[in-house]
Amino acid sequence: MLVTKPVAELCALLIDELHGELPSRIFAILLSKGRSNLTQLAQYTAMTPRQVRHGLAVLQQHNLLFYHVDPSAEFASYEANADHAYNLVRTGKILEMVDTSFGPAAKDVMQSLLLSGQTRISDLVAAYREKIEQANQTAAIIGDDDDFGAETNGVNGDSQPAKKPGPLVKSTAHLNTLICRLVEAELIDVVHSKSFESPEDVLKTVEKEVMDKHFPAGVKGNKAKIELQERIAEGLRKVRGESKSLKRKLEQNGGSAAKRRKLVAGLGGANGVQDEDMDPALDPRQVIRINYEKCLVDLRNRRLAQYATDMIGETTAYVYGVLLKLLTKDLPRCRANPVMDAGDEKDESEKGTVCVTTEQILDNLKTSVDLSLGIGKAERRQVSSTAAEKIELYPPKKRVLIEEAEVDGEASADEDEGDNESSEESEYDSDYKAPATNGANGTNGVNGTNGTKVKFDESAAPKERRLDRPGQLRQHLLILSESTQRFVRHCGPDEWTVDFVPVMNSLREVELDSVIERTCGRQGLRLVRILRAKGKLDEKALPNVALMRKPELQQKMLEMQTAGFVSVQEVPRDLKADVKKSFFLWFCDVDRSLSRLLDTSYTTMVHCIQVLEALRQKERDVLETTKRTDVRGREKDTMRKSYYERYSRFLECERTLFAQVMRVDDLVSVLRDF
Amino acid sequence: MASDSVGLDSVKSQILKDALYEEIKQHGSETRLFTQKDLIDLNIIPNNDVKQLLDIVQQLCNDKLLVGTTNHHAGLSWRWRSREEAKKYTSLPNDEAVMVYSIIDEAGADGIWNRTIKNKLNMHENVVKTCIKFLETKGYIASMKNVEHPNKKMYIKATLRPSERATGGPWFTEGELDTAFIAELEGIVFEYIKTKSAYRGSQPHTGGAASSSAGATKLPKKGAVTAADTTARGTKRSATEISTDDAAARAGGKSRAVFLPMPAGYKHYPTVAEIAKFIHDTGITNNTTLGEADIQQLVDVLTYDGLIEMVRVGRRRGYRVARAVKQDTVPFHKRQKEREAGVGLDLLPLIPGAEPLGNGLTEAPCGRCPVFELCEEGGPVSPSNCVYFLQWLELEDLPKAVAPSVPLPP
Repeated sequence: MLVTKPVAELCALLIDELHGELPSRIFAILLSKGRSNLTQLAQYTAMTPRQVRHGLAVLQQHNLLFYHVDPSAEFASYEANADHAYNLVRTGKILEMVDTSFGPAAKDVMQSLLLSGQTRISDLVAAYREKIEQANQTAAIIGDDDDFGAETNGVNGDSQPAKKPGPLVKSTAHLNTLICRLVEAELIDVVHSKSFESPEDVLKTVEKEVMDKHFPAGVKGNKAKIELQERIAEGLRKVRGESKSLKRKLEQNGGSAAKRRKLVAGLGGANGVQDEDMDPALDPRQVIRINYEKCLVDLRNRRLAQYATDMIGETTAYVYGVLLKLLTKDLPRCRANPVMDAGDEKDESEKGTVCVTTEQILDNLKTSVDLSLGIGKAERRQVSSTAAEKIELYPPKKRVLIEEAEVDGEASADEDEGDNESSEESEYDSDYKAPATNGANGTNGVNGTNGTKVKFDESAAPKERRLDRPGQLRQHLLILSESTQRFVRHCGPDEWTVDFVPVMNSLREVELDSVIERTCGRQGLRLVRILRAKGKLDEKALPNVALMRKPELQQKMLEMQTAGFVSVQEVPRDLKADVKKSFFLWFCDVDRSLSRLLDTSYTTMVHCIQVLEALRQKERDVLETTKRTDVRGREKDTMRKSYYERYSRFLECERTLFAQVMRVDDLVSVLRDF
Repeated sequence: MASDSVGLDSVKSQILKDALYEEIKQHGSETRLFTQKDLIDLNIIPNNDVKQLLDIVQQLCNDKLLVGTTNHHAGLSWRWRSREEAKKYTSLPNDEAVMVYSIIDEAGADGIWNRTIKNKLNMHENVVKTCIKFLETKGYIASMKNVEHPNKKMYIKATLRPSERATGGPWFTEGELDTAFIAELEGIVFEYIKTKSAYRGSQPHTGGAASSSAGATKLPKKGAVTAADTTARGTKRSATEISTDDAAARAGGKSRAVFLPMPAGYKHYPTVAEIAKFIHDTGITNNTTLGEADIQQLVDVLTYDGLIEMVRVGRRRGYRVARAVKQDTVPFHKRQKEREAGVGLDLLPLIPGAEPLGNGLTEAPCGRCPVFELCEEGGPVSPSNCVYFLQWLELEDLPKAVAPSVPLPP
């Protein structure tokens, strides 16, 4: 992650919000001064070494710090882990995600982990044991799960009323099961010695090792260079793989249990209980932490499903969500590391891309979901099955400016098959032909009121509706693959895959577009999209394409230039460079706009938190009252009415602002991480 | 004898002249160029006598029935002119007028700038002026306006209509881009594509994935409006949210009219030709004719606006509405009428298509802040004294004095 000024500011503010001012200050110094040791830090911060150590311990506990002990030096040097610091903002989102896909109990465990940082399993078990005992003793106490970790900061707990009385985690065995499940989902991984070293340091050590071991005489020639690269990548992968050791062990021990769990995964926590005795006990000395990379994969799935909802419809998006979940089960991270995964990719193309079959998706769909919804009806002869079922074996090439030519070739090729030939299609398709079209006619909904002559196939009786579920599912998948956003690629007969890079690019573009549309109006959006489609365009040519008046257009372009969405290039016609005769070419650089958008987003988040801080200052007297032990928890009864009103309004604002930060983070994730 | 032969010659040449002229007319339009060889090959001149041909062509040129031009492919060549036109030339009183008229004639449908006339003929301005005035009163030429150079005074032959390049095509009325016309037409085309490319069905009101009885009833228009409105306002529902809805998956009873996407491979998405035909058939554009290219331009603009998208099914290139489910089921023109009647005036200005997507940035005050670049803690404008944020958080107890003088752009 590139740490720009707003990012640094944001990280410091986030740490301040969650872990207090001391670590925040140290973190800010570390970001601005770079790698430093204890004495340097004490000097920079004007704090005593004791205080600095305190702060560093907190940061270390939450994995916000890298350290490096050079064998030759006496001191350890520390470095800020800005990625993890930024991830703090995603805490709520991750918890919600775990809640929906693993159940509230798993969320509780996750929350404990988030609050206490990296934890030894035995400590976690002990904490829960105590809690469970306490709960058993005083069964009626509410909201005990929030108290865990209250020593770090209480602010976030305030707005979070406990939902159910009694502990969510019922026993230590239950806890064990939950951890196992989360580990298997890779949401939790193991901390090892290398996880505290910055990526650069790890790279350096690996490099040194490889050089010592395999190239003692130095690297000579291209072949050796390539080999060196491969060995380094391999070494790095090994380091990275260490954190998955626990998962591997679990898979070896309880393969069958894991398999079975995979089938019921997603059906909530209730089912987890049955597995208890089948899970191996975890090594209590293991230290675990949250694996943000995998969390991001799941968050991306959610975002993409949301995208599909926006673009197509809810039912289709639900199908898409299930597809994504199946597809990314073994995907460790959203973006492949250019060094480490270079070899991986090669393997992948050899063994073929990961794909999911229609059957698998069908097995994972909820039975309550009615797949007949969300698709229009059309007669069989109105639908060209050859076009719909087109199989694309390879991911799309990089987007070319003029895509027409390429598409033309393809289109003519499959046109030859024609519609009459549909009966001659290969066998795999013929099975699905009938249900596919029936599915379109399936629901006897409202008759088509639009001009197209939509009629109903009388033979498609309502009772058949449930039966042709695979066909309906296929319809949804085909819509996804036909969409202009290319949500899904039909990569083989009944096999589906997602090319994440182009889909994410389109999503990024959509985000940018919505910002442009909101700031510069629809006409601004029109102009930007014209430039995007046509490349650089002369100022004189623009009005004709955009069907806009010249003065209006010029004003709009200037407005957008100030906003940074488009740029202009002046090309003189001759050596004299007469301005009147020069060409003015407008163009838009999407990457630049996106990075600018990213920076704006960071700044917006910073502003939100600063506004909150200002509000806290303003309502200081009220907030101080609520901190009193006799008031805490009984605010409504003990506080004066006007005070309480101010307090509740403050809480309202706080919630709004945090929600806003989260929403902006949605954008940041799309732009940067997914 | 000599005079006789001259008289005979003149009669003969008159006959030849007419014959040649008629023959030339038969062999091509007024724009065709005839070279000397072409003329001889017409077999009018006896014995292919070049000298005689020269004679006769010269006479025809004098009568303004032939126009000599040089063309670098063919060399010297001629094209014919109709007798009525020739008469106009011959009726002109002086050479200046003839020259001015011929230069305007040559400019054709594009017209010509009066200063160009002056420069080309190298005449005094007054002479040109009087000539133009004379020609205008005679009704031979007319002044015109060119879109590309709205300030230049241009002239064109009165019998011609200004070319597309000069008028700017069907989108221009009197040299101005007719934005109202375009917007209206865009609305109609969009509405057409919307109804043709999406299926108008109904969906249970409670949630996307909820199952309901098949024969869902349609609500009266009014109810449908509000339902569509609430969804358009962006009640965000993620897929996972739906999955938690399991318990709520009971038949909702209520349903709303929505547009649904067509199944993949649908072959009847309207093409540009169909849209052009529709526009032609409705006769909305009674005094301007819109070709397919014009409609293509319009459709392209709609595509760039993100309202519609191109779909290729087989070789057919059709257009469909983007984000069908989010579209308003009430036709656009009805909405406009509602607006005129005073419904929903407090909302944003009416635009065709679905509610634009938003994200965290566009909703926060910062995303639309005019002083975003200046805003910094410790600066003259800072988050802690931000008035827009206070407005946004609805903290109304602020004194009126601090209220922003500049309203936040929408």
